[in-house]
Amino acid sequence: MTLLELNDVSVHYGRIQAIHNMSFTVEEGEIVSLIGANGAGKTTTMKTISGLLNPSHGTIKFMGEDITKMKAHIRVVQGISQAPEGRGIFPAMTVLENLDMGTFGRKDRNGVPEDLERVFTLFPRLKEREKQYGGTMSGGEQQMLAIGRALMSRPKLLLLDEPSMGLAPQFIRQIFKIITEINGQGTTVLLVEQNANQALARANRGFVLETGEITHSGTGKELLANPAIKEAYLGVG
Amino acid sequence: MSTIDGPTPLPGAKASQAAADRQASGNIPGGSADAVRKSGWFGRWSEKWRAMPRQKQWLYLIVIVVIAYLLPVINPPILSTEPGNDFPLALFSMAVYALAAVGLNIVIGYAGLLDLGYIAFFAVGSYTAAMLTSPDSPFFKIPYLWTIPLAILVALCVGVILGIPTLRLRGDYLAIVTLGFGEIIRILATLIPAMKGQVGFQNVGRPPGMGPDGIPIFANSNGTPWYWLALTILIIVLFLAGNLERSRVGRSWIAIREDEDAAETMGVPTFKYKVWAFAMGAGVGGMAGALFAGQVGFVNNQKFDVVTSIMFVAAVVLGGTGNKVGAVLGGAVVAYIPLRFTAIAEYKYLIFGLALVVIMIYRSQGLLPARQRLLAYGHIAYAKVRRTAPIAPAPVTEKEA
Repeated sequence: MTLLELNDVSVHYGRIQAIHNMSFTVEEGEIVSLIGANGAGKTTTMKTISGLLNPSHGTIKFMGEDITKMKAHIRVVQGISQAPEGRGIFPAMTVLENLDMGTFGRKDRNGVPEDLERVFTLFPRLKEREKQYGGTMSGGEQQMLAIGRALMSRPKLLLLDEPSMGLAPQFIRQIFKIITEINGQGTTVLLVEQNANQALARANRGFVLETGEITHSGTGKELLANPAIKEAYLGVG
Repeated sequence: MSTIDGPTPLPGAKASQAAADRQASGNIPGGSADAVRKSGWFGRWSEKWRAMPRQKQWLYLIVIVVIAYLLPVINPPILSTEPGNDFPLALFSMAVYALAAVGLNIVIGYAGLLDLGYIAFFAVGSYTAAMLTSPDSPFFKIPYLWTIPLAILVALCVGVILGIPTLRLRGDYLAIVTLGFGEIIRILATLIPAMKGQVGFQNVGRPPGMGPDGIPIFANSNGTPWYWLALTILIIVLFLAGNLERSRVGRSWIAIREDEDAAETMGVPTFKYKVWAFAMGAGVGGMAGALFAGQVGFVNNQKFDVVTSIMFVAAVVLGGTGNKVGAVLGGAVVAYIPLRFTAIAEYKYLIFGLALVVIMIYRSQGLLPARQRLLAYGHIAYAKVRRTAPIAPAPVTEKEA
């Protein structure tokens, strides 16, 4: 089933067009990676899907329903949850308070302890630090917290904006392993990354974004094998 | 959040190892993060406060409140502002400032919206009280005490009206626009004939009651009853603000302050809650304004300048942004110092400027940091997320959830 469908979406910042007539779909149960360089429109795409930005043209459908005009805080309730770029955790709140904020839009309070257990199983580090302030944690831990918090709303679609940004290589591998694990538990994942290698290796499908347009698409393996992409994003020529 | 909590000794290898051990062992309540924040005299004091059992806290609170009520009667020699200024009147002025600071703290401290035109709401409250009680006003008249809830209501509405178009802006832009509000209200008071500009309104109403000598209990020169009235209102507002900050709305405000986009993607209707914060703050400011108008007995357009707005902000920042008790302290101090030290009153802006610079360098969270409040909420979150069975939500003061 098609979970998310972008149809001919354009996004402007004032007069500058950041996204040009973008169309793609995310099927239920997939990991989809959007890769691209700085300024390619990755984060803009994410913010448009989560509702922080409004498209100037085109439609966005989620589970068959048109959500183009829907506010971001309602999209969470519908099942789209975002771990924002630069982590976006609440620094003056403890880990547990941060995770609790993730349940803000939820109607079924009964499911919360179960999801908390799930997050703590995925990220045992967060359990160790549950009373620590978000702002005092390391970058990697903050990233875990951001992902964990996004999971607390029990999303159907998890949006991850550059989960590997600024992390040590071993941490990146760990984060991607966990993303695969989350996906294995039934959450569809849409991932935006500069780290093309990891992102494509883990993805069912991928799209390459260049200056606001999709230039390549295919399965993760196909894209990894594509010589043009190899050269541009993987640093192998 | 600041990393400057006073001088921290360079941790030796042993100390950092111990800290690492403590983190690794995960000793949960008051983890390593709190330990860092404990420094400072007020900080330690609030640590102690948190550790106290509930009954003991109440006992202390009652003692503090009783002392606060008795202050104008005791007139303690060193604290007293006499002979320069009447002490009960000074206390009233402090209470009104504290009330305004508590209101502004909702806007700045909780929701993180920098409002530099808070005097606008204070003015709206003052004019509401004046125009509905003063014989100079062409409007119908109502008893003074009724103007207090009405002032809250009118200021709240003005808050919503001003908030809806402007709260789409963020940060500095919002600050600049709010700076204009104060001026707009003041200029409106000059331009609209019914508001009588500089001539103003005399003989603003007062609460009923006559003393045995035929002088009204709430005479303009008699500060004590006014102070008691303001203090009572302040205590009620503090209780309500306390409930509010622990509620779902309060948590949303803090989330908005910390990261607005993240809050929105967590499901917080950020715009609605920002308007709420603005309106709540406005309501409290309006109430303070009505009290002020009643005591002074005279309202004109000269009293509501930008500088007073800035003083309110200074009070909040000085006391500790995000902490309502800090706001009370900050408001009281800002009002008290020029009245107590009349010799230096002329230089009060210089002194406050310097004080703010010093505070920002050495204690940027203010005298009473907001930490303890958030932690109080932390316990609730902890209990709630941990429970296996659904529990009744904490008392919620909001209308919709």
